[in-house]
Amino acid sequence: MSDDEPVAAEVETMLALVRARYGDRLDASQLAAVRTSIEAIVQASRALRAVRLTNADEPAQPFAAYRAEP
Amino acid sequence: MAPRVAGSEDVVFQPVRALAEGVRTRRISPVKLAETFLDRLERLGPRYNAVVTITRDRALEQARRAEAEISAGRYRGPLHGIPYGAKDLLATSGGIPTTWGAAPFKDRVFDFDATAILRLEAAGAVLCAKLAMVELAGGMGYRQPNAAFTGPGVNPWNRDAWSGGSSSGSGSAVAAGLVPFAIGSETWGSILSPAGHCGIAGLRPTYGRVSRHGAMALCWTLDKLGPLALTADDCGLVLEAIAGRDPVDPTTVDRSYRYPGAGPAGRRFRFGVLRGVTDGCEPEVRDNFARSLEVLKALGTVDEVALTDLPYDDITRTILFAEAASAFEDLIESGGIAALTAPEDRYTAYARDAILAKDYLKALRLREVMMREADRVLAPLDALVAPGRATVAAMLGAEVRSAIRGTARDVMGAVGNGAGLPGLTVPNGFGARGLPTGLQFMGRAWEENTVIAAACAYQSVTDWHTQHPDVA
Repeated sequence: MSDDEPVAAEVETMLALVRARYGDRLDASQLAAVRTSIEAIVQASRALRAVRLTNADEPAQPFAAYRAEP
Repeated sequence: MAPRVAGSEDVVFQPVRALAEGVRTRRISPVKLAETFLDRLERLGPRYNAVVTITRDRALEQARRAEAEISAGRYRGPLHGIPYGAKDLLATSGGIPTTWGAAPFKDRVFDFDATAILRLEAAGAVLCAKLAMVELAGGMGYRQPNAAFTGPGVNPWNRDAWSGGSSSGSGSAVAAGLVPFAIGSETWGSILSPAGHCGIAGLRPTYGRVSRHGAMALCWTLDKLGPLALTADDCGLVLEAIAGRDPVDPTTVDRSYRYPGAGPAGRRFRFGVLRGVTDGCEPEVRDNFARSLEVLKALGTVDEVALTDLPYDDITRTILFAEAASAFEDLIESGGIAALTAPEDRYTAYARDAILAKDYLKALRLREVMMREADRVLAPLDALVAPGRATVAAMLGAEVRSAIRGTARDVMGAVGNGAGLPGLTVPNGFGARGLPTGLQFMGRAWEENTVIAAACAYQSVTDWHTQHPDVA
């Protein structure tokens, strides 16, 4: 998926996913509000994708292998 | 000799440190102190929608124990016999409900105490109330103050205004003199917002400083617990009691924490101000911040600094939305959110299915960059300073501007919470509609004492923290 792809198309794709999962619970005004929220999410995602990182840039998160003691 | 004071309201609006000296020297009775604040919680709490449950039986039992121990010469320290309230997302045993501010959980009871509750008990503090909060700590996208089954948090300075959130009752109860201190939680703004809007001090500790065991999880990598109190100094006293590694919270770190007090008078500080940090602030907020900078210049140096251009708000927001959607997966997917109070909380979270896993991971990778960049800027400084909030509290019927929803900018909050850095707000004046404004200090990781010392220095030459709303 290209960063140049129109935001609207991405929003519609995501909205279709949400509608498929939860559409029976949402009236028209709620669906419109969800669309607005998705637009913000898509814009944020694009802002994140626009920052280039290297292969060595790891996520900031703790993970450690586990072994019950003793 | 029996303790002589209290029961009277001359103990109200006294800092913890002053009350502690009275308790230690037996001029103040912990039992009468508890009774005074329990009475205020019962009488005034409903006015501010500040309280979920008053824990009278537990409080009086703890207060009697404190009084007996102190009489026997076994004084535990500055929180011994001091009443407090806890945000209602901290688990409490003994049949005391823990509601998370949300109607679907209003009758839920745990059979254990959160680690923070246990540590305060060990310090001898007296739990008087579970305090109101925005439902699910605001994680479902609320847009206005009426977002808790207890009603909107009401501001003691102006009862037509919001208290701030999500630690709403923790802010209003301290500001109205219903408890000397409270515990709140912050994922993004939930301590600094109510503290700033209610004109009190609020401390967001470094991520990993305070155990969250027994606290509602909203976002595992963002949630922090911290104190709200009348002064920055009191925040240090409370933090010492609740800080420390906890085997049942793997995010806590093995760093001891001791609060040595405000530090010597005359210490010089190095303050930084982010370029453009007052953009979007209300005029009164900007004016009060400018006056605060003049005060800070007498305490040290103030220099403008800049962060590398990164999408800070988007990084922290993406992490918050994705983790909250997962933390409340059952409630969201079952449709249980339909029972929440705020209409927008009943559907907004559905949108978060639009966050792709690789975008969440990109946010986590950028978080690492953000952490290093924040530390680079903070390394030569004692603290970054900024307005506590861009606006005074919203009116009760109005929409709340929020960086979390993207309707306001909050780089300090995005970086501070995203990078897990300590922050502290103290009052610095009043703005529109007679509502308080705040001054925020943010430091390097684990530098709570530096941040507190800077705020104490500010409070030593200003008197905003000695002003209290008329709640008679």
